[in-house]
Amino acid sequence: MEGGAGALAAALLLTGCAHRDRIVVGSKNFTESDLLGEIVAQQIERRTGLPVARRFHLGGTFVCHQAITAGQIDLYVEYTGTAYTAVLKHAAVADRDSVYRAVARDYAQRFGLVWGEPFGFNNTFAITVRQRDATRYGLRRVSDLARVAPRWKAGFGYEFLERADGFRGLASVYGLRFASPPTAMDLGLTYRALAEGKVDVIAGNSTDGQIEALDLVALEDDRHYFPPYEAAPVTRQATLARHEGLAAALDQLARRISDAEMRRLNALADVEHQDIATVARDWLRSNLP
Amino acid sequence: MTQPLEVEDLGYRLPGTGRQGTGNGTVLVQDVSFTVGAGETVVLLGRSGSGKTTTLKLINRLLEPTSGEVRVAGARAADLPVTRLRRRIGYVIQEVGLFPHLTVERNVGLVPQLDGWPPERIAARVRDLLRLVGLDPDRFARRYPHELSGGQRQRVGVARALAADPPLLLLDEPFGALDPITRVELQHEFAALEGRLGKGMVFVTHDVREGLLLGTRIGLMLQGRLVFLGTPQEFRESEHPECKKFMEAA
Amino acid sequence: MSLWHFYSRNSQEVLGLVGQHLYLVAISTGTAIVIGVPLGVLLTRRPAWRGPVLGVANVFQTVPSLALFGFLIPLPLIGGIGATTAIVALVLYALLPIIRNTYTGITGVDSAVREAGRGMGMTDWQLLTQVELPLGLGVILAGVRVATVVSVGTATIAAAIGAGGLGVYIFRGVAVVDDTLILAGALPAALMALAADGLLGVAERRFAWRAE
Repeated sequence: MEGGAGALAAALLLTGCAHRDRIVVGSKNFTESDLLGEIVAQQIERRTGLPVARRFHLGGTFVCHQAITAGQIDLYVEYTGTAYTAVLKHAAVADRDSVYRAVARDYAQRFGLVWGEPFGFNNTFAITVRQRDATRYGLRRVSDLARVAPRWKAGFGYEFLERADGFRGLASVYGLRFASPPTAMDLGLTYRALAEGKVDVIAGNSTDGQIEALDLVALEDDRHYFPPYEAAPVTRQATLARHEGLAAALDQLARRISDAEMRRLNALADVEHQDIATVARDWLRSNLP
Repeated sequence: MTQPLEVEDLGYRLPGTGRQGTGNGTVLVQDVSFTVGAGETVVLLGRSGSGKTTTLKLINRLLEPTSGEVRVAGARAADLPVTRLRRRIGYVIQEVGLFPHLTVERNVGLVPQLDGWPPERIAARVRDLLRLVGLDPDRFARRYPHELSGGQRQRVGVARALAADPPLLLLDEPFGALDPITRVELQHEFAALEGRLGKGMVFVTHDVREGLLLGTRIGLMLQGRLVFLGTPQEFRESEHPECKKFMEAA
Repeated sequence: MSLWHFYSRNSQEVLGLVGQHLYLVAISTGTAIVIGVPLGVLLTRRPAWRGPVLGVANVFQTVPSLALFGFLIPLPLIGGIGATTAIVALVLYALLPIIRNTYTGITGVDSAVREAGRGMGMTDWQLLTQVELPLGLGVILAGVRVATVVSVGTATIAAAIGAGGLGVYIFRGVAVVDDTLILAGALPAALMALAADGLLGVAERRFAWRAE
């Protein structure tokens, strides 16, 4: 009995140690988040040699937030605007830098989480319609939607429907009154629903690869309802403190990905169905050899 | 006046196992011929596997004859649509087979109802028949089969078979599942009934005493053939080895 | 916010989602009955078909529901986002218990009863409608009960593909980690399943027949 208990304790201790040496990287439940998570994971592995465990495609912003504050993941890529309005529940502002400073400060104080440098692109919500509808009804800006909304059906993912900076605020700021409440579905299906005519307007992501591929067009947010959404790695303070080279490895990714570049990577994964690990590896090889 | 039943060279061969045609299955019944007149009961007697039940089923086409001819009330059985043939034949089986979800009265009146009789005529007929088989209609008409004893159920079975007044009755060991006392009781009642009904009956049994009691003629079957056909007295005195075997067992 | 508070503030939406959910379950179970019972009857008349038909129905049962939705989406006519696809998937799920129980219910009828019926000159149709179906109804209803209860649960997943129903609350609640929302969807769905089970159980017992 004693020998067994001793062996068990040793095993637990060892796995505990291994656990402490391991970085757990999470991601939200859409392609871009998985891609960035994979890029970050591979970057850490290459530069620091630390083992990385991936917990990708978790439920969404709030699931990831809960996971990182609970210590179940060490790091994930978040968007400044999302943190600002959905997590910290501030009213949206348009200035990129003040949003970044606010979230960096609040996250450090309230959650012990450190914001890294943004990757360099802004992935805002893209209120998207079919190209032919945009032409036929002269739709260029979100304000133009108010004209057609009473005859149209909207379709959104669950998070956008629930979030304070999501549908409700959008509808009120732009005066959008749809004939019936929006159809709710898995976010990934909304593009298809739009392309097939099941819905007439969706809230996609401005860096999504599918917008061009499916002959869709994003409308301009002329009333600046949405804050800037700059993507950056968010890491637990404790994790950064424990591993010296980690912060430096993440900083190497700062300002490396433009809007166009992110769109290109998304298209590789979503439209051409390339494997995410491959897309990440190729990108790292070309940009950070 | 046509006979209720005429059977001529009746035969039944199982479908063969060979691919070429139907030539080589086992023969269960062959060259069986007999007639049944009104008021007559022909008992088909024989040991298990002798072909008596098969012969019965060839008459109402639950099995299709592979040779020979059957005529019921003058009409060729093979020419009639099979359901119309069967409506003209009363059929009583050992397990009775009453419909458990119907009352006694609905069970008995089933064939008349299928034939489209008016309800009052059915109701009157049912009452008459129940009385005929010894069941008080007031007590039994509304009961369900599971509320009856084995003997009572078979009485209902007989009543049901008689409902549409068919010229021919086929009975396949109808009292076989009953206890000995009830069996004897029903045998005697049936014997009394036979004369009054004026129908042709074919009665299958392996019980020689029952056969001698109920039959106007006994048809003894052995290995698919009819080896003896005659009155009960002739049967008792017959020299045929199979007859003697049965008499020993009596 | 407590659950009661949530329901009273959103009563119209709640009723709408409950209605959508009932619609999905009712249409799909009804369709499965219309397809499944005749198929089950057919299997009793053509025993050779039993293996293949039950085999195919069984395959649909074993595919996880979300995967089945996913497979159906790209198909023309019956696919796409929305209630149609969900209903098709729910019908496929409901088929196995209904077909199988129809078959069992009918073949479970005492063979003496069937022989007596045939011997009396009942046509196949008369035997089916006046004897086999009434006697097998209890078992058939048991199959309907199983299919319905499963449908209520599976229909919650239909919200992922835009078919509406109580799953909308559940998915929304999961997206923002809100237990009240999740419960707001899960509780009525569970109650619906229990109610279906109870009501159909009563019907089943009412029509069950003791063997003679």
